[in-house]
Amino acid sequence: MVNVLAATHPEGTVHGEVGDTTVPLRFSDSPEALSEEYKALRERAAALDLGGHGLIEITGPDAIAFAQRVLARDVEYLTSDRCMMSLVLDAGGSIVDQVIAFGREDGILLESSCGAGTRLLEHLRAENDEGVEITDRADLTLIGLEGPYAWGVVGRLIDGELASLPFESVAEAVWDGVDIVFARTGFTGEYGYQMIVPRQEAARLWELCLEHARPSGQEALELAMLEVRQPMPRHEASPGASVIEIGANWLVDITKETFVGREAVLEAFESGTGRATIGFTCVTGVPTPGTRLMAGEQVIGEVVHAVHSVGLGATLGLARVDRDLAAAGLDLSVGGVGATTLTSPYIVPKSWSVPII
Amino acid sequence: MALRPVVVTGLGIICAIGRDPAEFWLRLSTGSGGLTELRDEAYAVFEARHAGRVPDAWISEQTPSADADLDRTARLALVAARQAIRQAGGVTASPARFGVILGKCQATPGPAGRYQPMHRTGDVVAERLGLGGPRILVSTACAAGGNAVGLAKDKILTGEADAVLAGGVDPLLFGTYAGFAGLQALSTGPCRPYSHSDGLNLGEGAAFLLLEPLDLALARGATPLAEVAGYGLSADAYHATAPDPTGRGGAAAMRRALTDAGLSPDDVHYVSGHGTGTPANDAMEAKVMRLVFGERAGQVPTSSIKSFLGHTLGAAGAVEAVAAVLALRHGMAPPTIGFDPGADTGSGTGSGTGSGSGSDTGSGGAPGLDFVPNVARPMAMETVVSNNYAFGGNNVSLVLTRPGGPRAYEDLPPREAVITGLGPVTGAGTGIAEVSAAITAGRRGAGRTPSLDGRTYAPRSLWRHMNQLSRMAIAASRLAWEDAGLKLPRKALDDVGLIFATGAGSAESTGGFDESIALNPSKPAVLSFSNVVLNATGGAVCQTLGLRGPTTTICNGGASASIALDCALEVIRTGKAEVVLVVAADERPGESPGDLPVSYVPGSAAVAFVVESADHCAGRGGGAYARVLGTSHAAHHVTGDAGTVARSLAGLPEAAAGVVAGVVVCAADGLPEDREEAAAVLETLAGGTLTSSAALMGDCQAATGAMNIALGALAVRDGIVPTLTGPARPGAGRGPGDEPAPSATGPVERAVALTAAPGSVAGAVLLGAV
Repeated sequence: MVNVLAATHPEGTVHGEVGDTTVPLRFSDSPEALSEEYKALRERAAALDLGGHGLIEITGPDAIAFAQRVLARDVEYLTSDRCMMSLVLDAGGSIVDQVIAFGREDGILLESSCGAGTRLLEHLRAENDEGVEITDRADLTLIGLEGPYAWGVVGRLIDGELASLPFESVAEAVWDGVDIVFARTGFTGEYGYQMIVPRQEAARLWELCLEHARPSGQEALELAMLEVRQPMPRHEASPGASVIEIGANWLVDITKETFVGREAVLEAFESGTGRATIGFTCVTGVPTPGTRLMAGEQVIGEVVHAVHSVGLGATLGLARVDRDLAAAGLDLSVGGVGATTLTSPYIVPKSWSVPII
Repeated sequence: MALRPVVVTGLGIICAIGRDPAEFWLRLSTGSGGLTELRDEAYAVFEARHAGRVPDAWISEQTPSADADLDRTARLALVAARQAIRQAGGVTASPARFGVILGKCQATPGPAGRYQPMHRTGDVVAERLGLGGPRILVSTACAAGGNAVGLAKDKILTGEADAVLAGGVDPLLFGTYAGFAGLQALSTGPCRPYSHSDGLNLGEGAAFLLLEPLDLALARGATPLAEVAGYGLSADAYHATAPDPTGRGGAAAMRRALTDAGLSPDDVHYVSGHGTGTPANDAMEAKVMRLVFGERAGQVPTSSIKSFLGHTLGAAGAVEAVAAVLALRHGMAPPTIGFDPGADTGSGTGSGTGSGSGSDTGSGGAPGLDFVPNVARPMAMETVVSNNYAFGGNNVSLVLTRPGGPRAYEDLPPREAVITGLGPVTGAGTGIAEVSAAITAGRRGAGRTPSLDGRTYAPRSLWRHMNQLSRMAIAASRLAWEDAGLKLPRKALDDVGLIFATGAGSAESTGGFDESIALNPSKPAVLSFSNVVLNATGGAVCQTLGLRGPTTTICNGGASASIALDCALEVIRTGKAEVVLVVAADERPGESPGDLPVSYVPGSAAVAFVVESADHCAGRGGGAYARVLGTSHAAHHVTGDAGTVARSLAGLPEAAAGVVAGVVVCAADGLPEDREEAAAVLETLAGGTLTSSAALMGDCQAATGAMNIALGALAVRDGIVPTLTGPARPGAGRGPGDEPAPSATGPVERAVALTAAPGSVAGAVLLGAV
C-alpha cells in the first residue's frame, strides 16, 4: 500500500517494509535520527505517521455480534465515544492482529496494527458468517500525536477540551475545517492521541502537526512501545505461541462466553504450562531473535525481539523463557554475554508525572 | 416572556463558622475559618483530624424543648429551617402549598442510634413546621443541597407550591469520616483548596433558603434577597468517585444553568466553587472555569468557602447557596482562606513547561485563575453561580442574581409526556415480555431474587465491580431503553436525563461498609464506601448507558418513583430534556424492623421506564404505552382532614369530575396501611379494577412504586393486569380483595398508579390512552 504521506516526508527519510505497507522508519538518514526522534517522543511531543495502520469498518444489523465474536475483548457495549485495544485470534488461538476497536453509531471501526491491514481484512472476510458489511476504509488514514506534552499540541492544533479526554475516549471533532474522529489512545505510556482523517486532507493536517511537534518514525515508536511492554504482534507473535506465553492476556476477556480462539486460550490458561515472556538487558550487543538464553549451562529460553534502547542506554529485549523463570532480577547469559531480566515498564514515561493543565 | 421569577426571602444556616446567617457572614467576610482538630478519642485512629464541627451549644440554644428528643440531624435542620422562615417573615402560603425539599447525603441515625429512612429528616422538619406541600428528599451526595434549591424552583414554576423551604443537612458521622480517610481524601491540616489541594476536611451543618414567587413575596411586603434565576444538572457518566477530568460534566451543568437563567457566561461576576481541596476536584474545576469562561476565566473570581468550614456533604450546596446570596447582598466575594499564592500549583493542577502557558504560576493554584486568596473582596455583582460536584458524577450549578422588580411573566406551558418503554427486573420476570407472560400465566414472584442471567447489560469490565443494586438498575434501564426502541446518536445521549429513585440505596454496600468500619475503622471497604452514597447507582446507570443529561436521585421511600416521575416531567416541561429515564431500585433490607404481618414480603427489584415528550416520540415515529395525564402527591399528617391517600387522589387532574379509571394499581403490600389506601380508592375511584404489584415482587420500596406506574402503563396499552391475590389483598372489608381481578381486561382508557411512603408521602399518577 502506498503511504499517503510519503511524498510529504523530507528527503533522506528512511522507509521500510512493514507487512503490507511501507512506512517511514526514520525521518532522516543522520546517525542521530533515531535518538532524536525518540527524545521527541519521550520528552516533548512527536507526530506519528500512522498511515500503515489499516482501517476496516464493520456495519450492518449484526455488526456488533460479529465484532463480539471475532474480537477477543468485550465490545458489546462499546459506544461511539469509546475505543479499546483487543486481540483478534484465529481458531487455534494464534494472534491474527492487535487492533484498536472504535465504537461507531452504525457498527464498529477497527484499526489494524502497522502493516497488518490486509491480513486482518482477509481474516474478517473469512469469518463473516453473519453477513455483515466489511469495508476497507482506505479513504481514511491516521495521524498520531504522542509525548508528555502532546496534550499541549492538541490544544493548539485542535481543541484544548479534547486533550484531557480520559484514556480510550473518542470524540467527533473538527480540525482546521475537516471532520475527524479524535481519540485519546497512546502506545508508549506517554499522552497519546490519534486522529482519523480523510486521506485527501492528511498531508495538509500533517504539515500542521509539524509546526508544533517533531515527526518520529516507526523505529522510535516501536522502541518506546517496547520500553513500556506494549505488545507488538509483528515482533512477538511467533508461530505457535499462545497469548499467555506472549503475555497479552490482558487483551483477551475469557469471561466472554464465545469468541474465536477462546477454547485455545482457555486450554493454554488451564494447562498452566508453557513459557512466559520477560524483558532483559544485556551487557553488549543486540542479540537476534532465537538466540538462546542460558542460566549457567542450562537453556531456559530464547530471545524474541531485542533492540538498543535509547532511554536505557543499553540493550533491551524480550525473551520467552520457562514459566518458573519469568522473574525480574535473574542473572543469565545470552549469546555468551551477561544478561539480567527486568520488570516492566523498563522506562517510566515522563507523562506519568506531567499533569494536563 | 419570561417565566415567573422565584426569589429567596429567608436564609438559615448553622455550620462550623456560624450559628446563623449574620455570624456566618461575619466570619466569611473577615476570613475567620472554623476548621479545628477533632478531640474525640474515636478519631485518634486517623492521621487527618481537622474538621468543621458545629458546637453542641449552638444547636441546643436554638432548639425548643419540644424538639430536644430529636436526633442531631433533625435538630440541625430545624435550627436552619426556623431561621429561614423567621427571616422571610409572615409567609402567606397555606400549609398545603408550603413545601420542603431537603438535600442529604448520608443515611443518619435516629434518636435511638439506628439508621432511619433517608426521608425521615425531611418529614420531621415538615411536621414540626407544619409544611404540607411538596416534600422531597434529594440525595445526589455532595450536590444535594444545591439540587434541592433547583427542584424547589421547579415546584413553584409548576404551581404546586407558593413557598418552599429548600436546603440541605448532614452531620459529621464517624463511618463517613473513616470512608474518606480510607480513600486518602482527607487533608492532614485545614484544607487548602486551589493551592495545596492535598485533600478535604469534612464538616457538618444545615442550611435552608426560603423560596417564593417574586410576586407573592412583594405582595406580602417581604424583601427578596436574591433571585433563583436558573439551575442546571448534569451527569459525568465517567466514574463512581472521580470527576471527569475534562470538566465536561461541570461545564455542562454551568452552561445549562445559565441557559435556564437566560444569561451568558459574560454575565457572571463571581463563582462559588465546589473547592473541596482534593487534587482531582480542584484540577477539574480549573478546567470547568476555562471551558465556560474561556479567555475571561481569569477575570471571574471563584472561591471555596469549604476552606472555612469543610465539606458538609449534602448540606454543602445549600450552605454555599446561602453564602452566594449573602455575597450578592453585601457586594463582596468571600475568600479562599489558607490559600498559598506561592504554591507550586498544588499536587493536582500542575505546571507544564511545554504547554506554553505554564510560566504564569506565581499566583498559586491553576495559572491565570483568581481564587480570591485569603481576603474577602468587595466587588459589584449582579450574578453569582454556585457549583457542586458529587460522587456518582452528579453536577449542579445554581445561578443567583440580585432581585429585580415586579414584572409580567407567563406560566410554565404544559407539555405532553408519554411513557414509551418499560424495564422491570423483578422476581416475576426480567423485561416486560417476561413480566407480561408471568401476569397472564398468573405466576407470582414476591420475595424471589430477580434473575440477570442469560445476557449482559453492561461492559463486563464495569459489571464485575458493580453491586447487585446497580446491576439490577442497569439491567432495568437497558431493558426500558430497548423497549422504547430509542436509537439515539451519541450526541443526543448527552441530553438524556436520568432520575434515580431509591428508598435506601444498596443494602449490600452499606452493610459491607459498616461491617468493615466496625471491624477496623482504619481499613474501610473503600469500594463499598463509594457505593454507599444513594446516587451511586444512578451514576452507574449514567456511566453505563452514557447518559449525561439532567440527573438527580430521589429518596422518598416507596413514594420515590412517582416523585422521580414528577422530576422527569418537570425536566421535559422546562425544556431541559426530551427523553428522561426513570429508574427505581431497592433491595430487601438486611434486617427487618420486626413485627411485620406474614402477608408482607420484602423483596429486591429495579424497575425503569422511559418518559419522553410526546413531540419527541412522534418525531421519531415511536410508540407509547400511555400518556402521563397528571401526578399528585400528598404529605402525611399535616393538613386537611382526609387521609393522605385520599388527598393524593384528590389532586389528580380529573379528580373534580371523578376519575374514571379502568385499572387502579394500588401500593398495597400487606401492611396495615393498605386499609386506608383501599378505603380511599374505593371512595374516589369506584368501578376500576384494583390490582397491585405485591404478588409479583413483594414490597420493593421505590421499585414497587415504579412497577405500579409500569403496570398502569401496561394496562393502558395492552390490557394486561395482574390478578389480585395473596399478600396484596387490601382488607377494607369489601370489594377489591374478594374477587380476583382478571389478568386481561382489554386496554383501558385510564389507569391510576399509587405509590406510598407510609407516614410521609402518598403519590398518585394518572395515565391515559395515547
